[in-house]
Amino acid sequence: MNGDGPMAQVANAEALHEAGMAAAREGRIEDAARLMERSVEVGQAPPFAFRNLCEVYRLLGRLDEALAAGLKAVDGDPNDPLAHANLSVLRYERLEPAEAIASAERAVALAPDLPSGHFGLAEASLLVGDFERGWAEYEWRWRLAGLPPLTPGLDLPQWDGAPLGEGRLLLVADQGFGDGLQFARFIPWARERCPDLVIAASREMQPLLAQVALGVKLFDAWAEASDCVAYCPLSTLPGLAGVRLETIPAPVPYLRADPAKAAAWRARLDELVAPGSRRVGLVWAGRPTHRNDRNRSVALADLGGITNLAGVTFISLQKGPAVPQVGGYFGRAPMVNLGPELGDFEDTLAVIDGLDLVLTVDTAVAHLAGAAGKPVWVMLPHAPDWRWLTGRSDSPWYPTLRLFRPPGPRDWAAVARDVAAALRR
Amino acid sequence: MTDNGPNDPSLCPCGSGLRAVRCCGQDLSLKVVTAAARHVAPLAEQAVVAFDAGRLEEAKALCLDVLELAPGQPQALGLLYRIRLEERPLAALTLIRRLVALYPNDFWATNELTLQLLGRGMLAEAEVHARNAVRIAPEMAQAHHLMGMVMTELSRPQIGEYHYRRALELAEGREPVLLANLAWNLKAQGKMTEARDLYRESTAAAPDILQTVLGWARLEEADRQFDTAADLLDRAEALAPGAQSVLLSRAVLFGRRKAYQQALGVLDAIAAQRQDGVMGPGELLEKGRLLDQMGRHDDAWAAFVEGKRLVREISGVAYMEAQANETVSRVAGFFTAKRMRFTPRASVKTDSPQPIFIIGFPRSGTTLVEQTLTAHPAISAGDELPFIHDITGLAQRMLNSPLTYPDALCELWMGDQREGLDNLRDYYLQRARQAGVIADSRQAGGARWFTDKMPLNETHLGLIALLFPASPILHLIRHPLDVVLSVFSNQLTHGFCCAYDLETAARHYALIADLIAHYRTEMPMRYLPVRYEDIVGDQEASIRRMLSFIGEDFDPACVDFTQNRRYARTASYAQVTEPLYDRSRYRYRPYVKHLAPIVPILRPAIDRLGYVVEGLEAAA
Repeated sequence: MNGDGPMAQVANAEALHEAGMAAAREGRIEDAARLMERSVEVGQAPPFAFRNLCEVYRLLGRLDEALAAGLKAVDGDPNDPLAHANLSVLRYERLEPAEAIASAERAVALAPDLPSGHFGLAEASLLVGDFERGWAEYEWRWRLAGLPPLTPGLDLPQWDGAPLGEGRLLLVADQGFGDGLQFARFIPWARERCPDLVIAASREMQPLLAQVALGVKLFDAWAEASDCVAYCPLSTLPGLAGVRLETIPAPVPYLRADPAKAAAWRARLDELVAPGSRRVGLVWAGRPTHRNDRNRSVALADLGGITNLAGVTFISLQKGPAVPQVGGYFGRAPMVNLGPELGDFEDTLAVIDGLDLVLTVDTAVAHLAGAAGKPVWVMLPHAPDWRWLTGRSDSPWYPTLRLFRPPGPRDWAAVARDVAAALRR
Repeated sequence: MTDNGPNDPSLCPCGSGLRAVRCCGQDLSLKVVTAAARHVAPLAEQAVVAFDAGRLEEAKALCLDVLELAPGQPQALGLLYRIRLEERPLAALTLIRRLVALYPNDFWATNELTLQLLGRGMLAEAEVHARNAVRIAPEMAQAHHLMGMVMTELSRPQIGEYHYRRALELAEGREPVLLANLAWNLKAQGKMTEARDLYRESTAAAPDILQTVLGWARLEEADRQFDTAADLLDRAEALAPGAQSVLLSRAVLFGRRKAYQQALGVLDAIAAQRQDGVMGPGELLEKGRLLDQMGRHDDAWAAFVEGKRLVREISGVAYMEAQANETVSRVAGFFTAKRMRFTPRASVKTDSPQPIFIIGFPRSGTTLVEQTLTAHPAISAGDELPFIHDITGLAQRMLNSPLTYPDALCELWMGDQREGLDNLRDYYLQRARQAGVIADSRQAGGARWFTDKMPLNETHLGLIALLFPASPILHLIRHPLDVVLSVFSNQLTHGFCCAYDLETAARHYALIADLIAHYRTEMPMRYLPVRYEDIVGDQEASIRRMLSFIGEDFDPACVDFTQNRRYARTASYAQVTEPLYDRSRYRYRPYVKHLAPIVPILRPAIDRLGYVVEGLEAAA
């Protein structure tokens, strides 16, 4: 779609802005930015134009322009809570958590029921390690726009953490696989309070969750939860448990590979990898539908600094639409494309068991290896998910996990340099 | 009957001189073709008598009469074949084919047909008849001599050597031509010393055979004994003054001695001898390569273009694109992650040396890598082994499938064929052993690996990964424009004859590059990309990397691979006996304006491999 089409010719700021919003909704972010820029250029743009331009620039990774627009937005209308909320999101992405918190506080002061303001406050607070405030605000996530109901067809109250007596508790493996694996460590804590619990989880998650919930019924059809008296998302458990930065439980390994599967994969790798070569599992892209995927996933071609190392064989654990990048991989270190052979997380876990190291971007595989107590290096985006905190290269969630942080947005070359240097050691 | 010449419309267009209903229009399966043969035998005898007495026209007329009455009469067919051989070779070929079809146990006819096919380069058909010759007469030296020649030409020199040696055992005395043929075979295997001794023995017994002297000269040239080669070419020249084959060899020798101007002079002399005054395709490509060495790139390009045009015109051969596309789309459709996840792999046969597959488009540096690696004591040289391709033809039968390859591999999902790949694997290893590539496994101290550098084996990369899941696959990568330029300046038939034109070479390159990416995306394999430019840039580092990938310790002998006396049989032999030189990197640069039309075809591969095209804008 051409951003300079007929609509762009209309010298009407509002119309241009509307066209820009329409383009953004359709995912044509570049077009949206062009149209909105025209909108503010012709003058008399609506006051919220800069607020939206801020978000569009953020989506394009043009963070300085986004900041200028965001500041203009709150300058022009200091009482617009959405402008402050957008600015908070941007500040997070600029890895300016204090400013993110300030903007979010301003947003919720102006609109106490604004879910995005509270959620921004939650993420920024958790990122800086203020878990007390973070968990409380985190519950606002259920009220974010466009979220489907967590337990469709069930009319249950959310569990408050108190013992339920004879009642049966429904735990829900909500959010992504990584979250599920990370928060699975709290299932024993919930079980102490509610011995009678069942877990709703996707088929793929079930065998792994079963390892921390021996004898617990796991299912993926809501009808089977009809006799429960309350529900709780796994991602709410750390908040209910009152976990603080210094009290994060990390009982690794709490996931273990099936020994027979692990032996079979090891034998397979003995065929595919030169003897004596270090076996480094590699994942460079996450699920493309993740809201932060453009920041967390990397192109294999951008990891050149790592892929030319000697004495290393990369074992690609990559799944999904990024797999064909293997066909264009010509690094000097050999790469074995194991992704197509991996049926489920149990397979991946069994492969990881035979590896010397797992190197991954922020995906479920990081949690899998971390929960299994295997050495795992995670290549984070500049503004990481809150759970990885800031500044540090270790993680209180996983003792065997090491974090690599880029000095600026999408500076994967720098990350690759750091990882290569660490691999050479 | 009268012989009215090949253009008489009442006669068979093959030129035999017979009516079509008595010639190519017959159904050879009908008894009537041979039924009356014995009744006209006396007439055929007369024809033979006339021929022996030198009365050629009478003999010819008698043959035509006999064959009009009994079109399958063997003596007349054989005699007419001999008569036509000189004047109408294509008609002769038709006649001898018919004789063999009617009398499959006739050794003389089988021998003649095999030699005719061999002379025309129709090697696949020649192999069929050479094998028949051995079936008919396993005790005859000539049967094995035929097999020796055919298998040597088919690039299976070890099998050829076996049959030459059988022929020597069976023959009375040491026949000079047989000795020379065995010498040529041994040269192809790099066994220079024995080959030289045999040439010496052969020429001592029969000093006047041009082919023998020329073959010896080529051996010395390949073995870098340039002075001896020059002396032998003088001898050849004396035997056949002005013979073009001698002159071309001389031009090649001048080229290797870097006497480019003299080499060009010889090529011009060849052209001047010709009636039309122009060079043939072989001379033109040689001239282009000489001009390239001299830095006269535009002239070189013109010679390549004209050489390839002539090759196409003379051979009538063109890229078999439909077949190439069909093959690629079938294998790509079969080898998918969904299927490969539950397709069994062959197990690794631990009591046998294992293949190392050196894959890559022709002219990518596969010969260089093989020469380098086989200087290592643990790695023996297999050269270009045709067995992977053979297996694609045999899979249907060996897996007892109603489907052809690759769909025949569906049988691996049946309970009674789930170990079927082991049989295919054993076929490969057993062939390799018979070819002399791997020593008997019981023998101690032998190599643990052998190389297979069959060009374009990557077309069947998926099959290789199933048959030999633990075998290292080294994929030679070079700037695609360098590869296609080099393919264009040499004559080769690999890759569905894509090398016959510039654009088709580029198209096949792109087709195969995409196919390799597909295989790598869909299934795991022990695969290492190796850049030719890296080898030239830092030879030792590349060798260390390859050996570590194979799982062998570094050996300094590999770095000094030019001392590896094994002679590379392919077009690359002249390069690999010289130390690495940087000029072989990015050779395309001076040709970029000529190559511009194929850049769009190669662009995706160039980008994917991380190369750039320099000078394109300036050329445009």
